[in-house]
Amino acid sequence: MSNAHNNNATENEYIPETYIPHSENHGTKEIWQKFWILLVITIMDFIVYFIKVSPDFKIYKNIFFIIFGIIKAYFIVGTFMHLKNEKTNLIMTVLVPIVFILWFITWMMYEGHALSTY
Amino acid sequence: MTDNTIIIDEQTTWAGGRSPFNVSYGKLMMWLFLLSDTFTFSCLLIGYGAIRFSYGEGWPDPSTVFNHFPFAHGMNLPLLFVSLMTFILIGSSVTMVLAVEAGHRNSKKEVAKYMLYTIVGGIMFLSCQAWEWSQFIGEGASLRENLFGLTEAGKIKAAGLGFAHHYTWIEGVDRMAGPVPFASLFFIVTGFHGFHVFSGVVLNIIIYINTIKGTYERRGHYEMVEKVGLYWHFVDLVWVFVFTFYYLI
Repeated sequence: MSNAHNNNATENEYIPETYIPHSENHGTKEIWQKFWILLVITIMDFIVYFIKVSPDFKIYKNIFFIIFGIIKAYFIVGTFMHLKNEKTNLIMTVLVPIVFILWFITWMMYEGHALSTY
Repeated sequence: MTDNTIIIDEQTTWAGGRSPFNVSYGKLMMWLFLLSDTFTFSCLLIGYGAIRFSYGEGWPDPSTVFNHFPFAHGMNLPLLFVSLMTFILIGSSVTMVLAVEAGHRNSKKEVAKYMLYTIVGGIMFLSCQAWEWSQFIGEGASLRENLFGLTEAGKIKAAGLGFAHHYTWIEGVDRMAGPVPFASLFFIVTGFHGFHVFSGVVLNIIIYINTIKGTYERRGHYEMVEKVGLYWHFVDLVWVFVFTFYYLI
């Protein structure tokens, strides 16, 4: 503990593998708040799923589900995984490579026509 | 770090001797592992999306396939069971984050309590998945077989385009055999996710035993709970997208 919190440690005392930064306690209020948000979003997913729409409008329903999925992901990664309170450099290290996934999705949707079996 | 007295200038930030991201080595490596795991799961889900759209109308409607609920025989209850599974996993994610929070306060008793809840949630989820799999397998699905056939619109389209010969009629089954990837991708995507949940439960049990034994109390911090917590939340996160892409869309 003393090793972890001693910011004035000389470089010889510093051992990267065992360095534990001081963690702040934010209490349980935010956790429960996000839990209820996630619960409500899942219930709304459930309700919207049973709304009957014509096939032409099904795409909007799908967009709605994807947006809700991303909102859920934001709360899980931001609050539960605590990424919101990390350094900007770490946030960027984790989030920027996701660009490749977005590119992959766009590419595969474009190429998907060529995979058509009929 | 409000009480950090070391002046960090850009030239020495990466020169060693400090943690530039202000997280421990293990936590940073866990983040990078989760990032690589994100790519693996994305490949599976994107492959699923591409194959699904390549079938167009020929893809079975998931709500007509996964419409069972335990002890409710013969009832058409789409999405209900899988929503319950989502609730269970989100709930176990919350107990995990409460365990992490208790760890910050060095409260051994509370960490152990919430870890136990998380383990129970994980085992409940795995049991639900086992039930869902056994239902689906019982209806004739396997990695090489799928009896869930075409939708009504698909049958009309198939007749019009003359591609019905792609599908074989199975004697005694009142359905046209459907696209095989529907079943095989279901088993691969949910199976890969289920294996992650299983690994997570094993890790949680190890953390739970260590907590009870007082390993982290002696160490002075509960950072292992945080690291395994990151993995557990990731598993929850993946399920959110499996739920969205496999069941909702």
